[in-house]
Amino acid sequence: MRFPPSITICLLLLACNGSIDSEPARPGPRIYAPGPAVLPRLTAAQYHASLEDLFGPGLPLLPLEPDTNPYLFFNVGAASTTLSEVGAQRYDESAHALAAAVIDDPERRAQFMDCEPASPGDRCVRATLGHLGMMLYRRPLSDEEAERWIGIATDLAEGNALTGLRYALAGMLQAPSFLYRIELGSPDPVPGHEGWGRYTDLEMASRLAFLLWNAGPDEELIEAAVAGALSTPDAIHLQASRMLEDPRARRAVQAFFAQYFDLGRLDHVGDRDPLRYPQFTSTLTASMRTEVELLVDDVIFNRDADVREILRTRRTFVNAELAALYEINAEGATAITFVPVELPDDGPRAGLLTLGAFLAMNAHPTETSPTLRGKYVRERLLCDLVPPPPADVATTIPEPGPTPRTLRERLELHRSRPDCAACHDVIDPPGYLFEGFDSIGATRSEDNGIAVDTSGGLDGMPLSDGRYLGELLSSDPRVSLCITRQLFRHASGRLETDAEDVAIRALAQDFIAGGSRFLDLLLSFATSDAFRMIQIDGSER
Amino acid sequence: MKILSRRTLLRGTFAGSVVGLALPQLDAMLCPRGAYADGEVAPPFFGLFFWANGVPWHAHHGGEQASAGTPDLWTPGTTGAGYAPSEMLAPLAAHRPTVLTGLQPHTAIPAEPGGQSDGHMRGFMVGLTGDRIRPEGFDHPSHTLAPLRPTLDQVVARDTTFTASGATRFRSVHIGVSDARFHDYGHWNAISYNGPSSQNLPILRPGQLFDLLFSVPPNAGELSRRASLLDAVADEGRSLRSTLGAADRARLDEHMDHVRELERRMTLATGASCVAPAPPIDGDLSTRSNQMAELLAVALRCELTRVFSCMLTSPASTHVFSNLGVPDGLHKTCHDGLWENVRRVTSHQMACFAGMLDRLDAQLDATGTPLLDRGVILGVTEYGEGWKHSTNELPALLVGGANGRLARGVHVREDGGNFARVHLTALRALGLPYDSWGWNGGETTQPFDELLPLG
Repeated sequence: MRFPPSITICLLLLACNGSIDSEPARPGPRIYAPGPAVLPRLTAAQYHASLEDLFGPGLPLLPLEPDTNPYLFFNVGAASTTLSEVGAQRYDESAHALAAAVIDDPERRAQFMDCEPASPGDRCVRATLGHLGMMLYRRPLSDEEAERWIGIATDLAEGNALTGLRYALAGMLQAPSFLYRIELGSPDPVPGHEGWGRYTDLEMASRLAFLLWNAGPDEELIEAAVAGALSTPDAIHLQASRMLEDPRARRAVQAFFAQYFDLGRLDHVGDRDPLRYPQFTSTLTASMRTEVELLVDDVIFNRDADVREILRTRRTFVNAELAALYEINAEGATAITFVPVELPDDGPRAGLLTLGAFLAMNAHPTETSPTLRGKYVRERLLCDLVPPPPADVATTIPEPGPTPRTLRERLELHRSRPDCAACHDVIDPPGYLFEGFDSIGATRSEDNGIAVDTSGGLDGMPLSDGRYLGELLSSDPRVSLCITRQLFRHASGRLETDAEDVAIRALAQDFIAGGSRFLDLLLSFATSDAFRMIQIDGSER
Repeated sequence: MKILSRRTLLRGTFAGSVVGLALPQLDAMLCPRGAYADGEVAPPFFGLFFWANGVPWHAHHGGEQASAGTPDLWTPGTTGAGYAPSEMLAPLAAHRPTVLTGLQPHTAIPAEPGGQSDGHMRGFMVGLTGDRIRPEGFDHPSHTLAPLRPTLDQVVARDTTFTASGATRFRSVHIGVSDARFHDYGHWNAISYNGPSSQNLPILRPGQLFDLLFSVPPNAGELSRRASLLDAVADEGRSLRSTLGAADRARLDEHMDHVRELERRMTLATGASCVAPAPPIDGDLSTRSNQMAELLAVALRCELTRVFSCMLTSPASTHVFSNLGVPDGLHKTCHDGLWENVRRVTSHQMACFAGMLDRLDAQLDATGTPLLDRGVILGVTEYGEGWKHSTNELPALLVGGANGRLARGVHVREDGGNFARVHLTALRALGLPYDSWGWNGGETTQPFDELLPLG
């Protein structure tokens, strides 16, 4: 792993004063300079989406090496882990299954071939391999590469041109130029940019596609790159705008928010005791995930609203079991049909932090966890880093003992120890605001037989329950800065350097000034130096 | 293609049958190496077995654990051969495990970055590599963690003395049973490493393990064409590498090494057909563990591989043992100090280990010797206990006879002893000429000689 060590942000936060400058600036450079190149392998989702975009739906999608998400993002895992031997075998099996499905089916073949090959390695085979190679490698093949696959298509054909084509496709599907995003840049001639690389037009086509579609580029984008039409911010803006109009953009935005909100953890919410939580079903956490996806899509694409609206809006999307969990009427909702609803004004819910997904994935099977919920607010929404417990500190929450106590009371005993208070005074108060929701996200009025206390706060600002935290965060510039930072990490496949942090702050300022609309952020990021430039380190080559 | 010798064909028919798994009629077709001449001894195998969250805490763990007043259910009451098994070791007794107690990591703990003393980091890494974690890049808040060197299974798998008796189809095989994870990345996912950022992720489904081990593409012509294709893939990898920085070049090189390995395997493979085992019954850990152990046992007998790792539960496992009446995830159960629940879970994990050993013992090789007599299986966990994450009393089990080179059924105790001695002992039992083991303060030149009858 090659992450910069100096990413710790001091956690002793003061009250928010309405500017991102309230977040302590990092020591180090105040001028932007690009960070190091990475070599991400396609994630399984990107591999599959790229092929479906190219060959159409209904392909045999065999399991690939599982992706990992250090620092929340699969792209970070894909740029820092090494493929295992079993992973290489899975690529091999997947490639042969896909190649057979694509080449052996005349209808599918007709979608990307306008000729029928007559003999192995003939003109039609060559043209087809040239086209497939360009789409898979996200650039035209070199002569050497083209000859290699034409050679395979000839040598392994057994007299059948399509058989040869099938092997060549299976080979290209295992080639590093398809499986890895090789984006190296070329020296930037601008004076003062020594050591800077600028991504080539073809590399930009690939970068835009993975950012905006979470898959490889289409033909139009590659052609634009070949024509030299991705060299300026205006030209990039033009293509990026087109791409955001395409339905594939919704898929990419969903992928980013699912990772940023850490929704994968919903898959690990273990079964709950059915006697204690009769509303918990085997489908409930999947419903919670769908709800968040619909909410994200609505705020960003349907309403093009301030993205922080997700944290305060009373509008959400429920199916029958979520309506029951939230104790609301939702006409038309069934087990599989989600309908838009306005949560009642006098109800306990408004915004993401009062919905099932956040509440259930930040709780334990037997009890809630103000600590996990508070930590999520700190780490996910505000990008704070909560330091580890000091060495040898007692991490056990006091047992209930003979006198009944709420979990909150037990946690407060824990916080009475100075070594624990240092962190828990920062983490727990926002978490307390959700004590009115149990471990699956249903409302409750008692914990352990005693009335719950939902008072808490953020950074010294007292609040009475979670709705007010959502309201507060929905105008907090730190949330917009955090989203900008996370988008950078997602797009770059690594943490930012201190010099890149300068660019992130500048992007965030513009983002906030424009009303924190996420599609705007995507466009301004895609055209910025932070996305177009890379460090060229001569010493390693 | 490999030609089946007459001797191979003869010996292949001697192979024992396996419960619950329909073997192909001609076992030797499946087993590239199936037979040894009279007097020849099959070479040893090595396995790593990992279970999560240590054992129930007791006075020897020190600190607050000492005042908890809970008895030591792990350490046998007597030392030496023929010790009386403790409550936790009772499920394993039939396999005469050698148990080593009182040991702990001796590695130094760098002050920066903080958090490296935690058992999930330090105990895990010392238990599997003999070294501390890699301090550079260690990030406690995200628990991002890398080793400094390969884990013991890969040290063995790549040792030229170990591999001198012949290449196996798989250099190593990695399985996991529980899919509950504390995090979805890094060492929370896997216990076997080739190096700092290169893991061997475990196969988690019996069906996938079966496919890996036993399903071989249809015919020799197809195999050789697929091998040619991999040759072309590796050629492309070679021409790209010069454009990359050193770290990325190493990642690509390793990927291309795997491609070469697949290619080699295709030239070894023979056309065999196996009937798939029954689909797994999910839920109980031991059911899945036993199914995978059965497949693994066949693979070891056939010498499809001679090295494996098994991660029963992952580090800091969040597995909910509802079958034992434990309502919360294991990691939280430990932190909540629920000793009785940890007692039940640990005992169950040992029973799962025993189930795996049962299946290895049931496999007799061509000379009628149980597989377990040939192997060395090192059983480790991440720390002594999970309540306070103490790395004192880091448990170690050595199971198997290593063809007579490893003493079975012995309890060795050394208060505060260096855990790296366990690794050195295992390596020597496998006949590997190591004089020393351990790094960064954990160095030792002393195996447990009393466990090595042949030195």
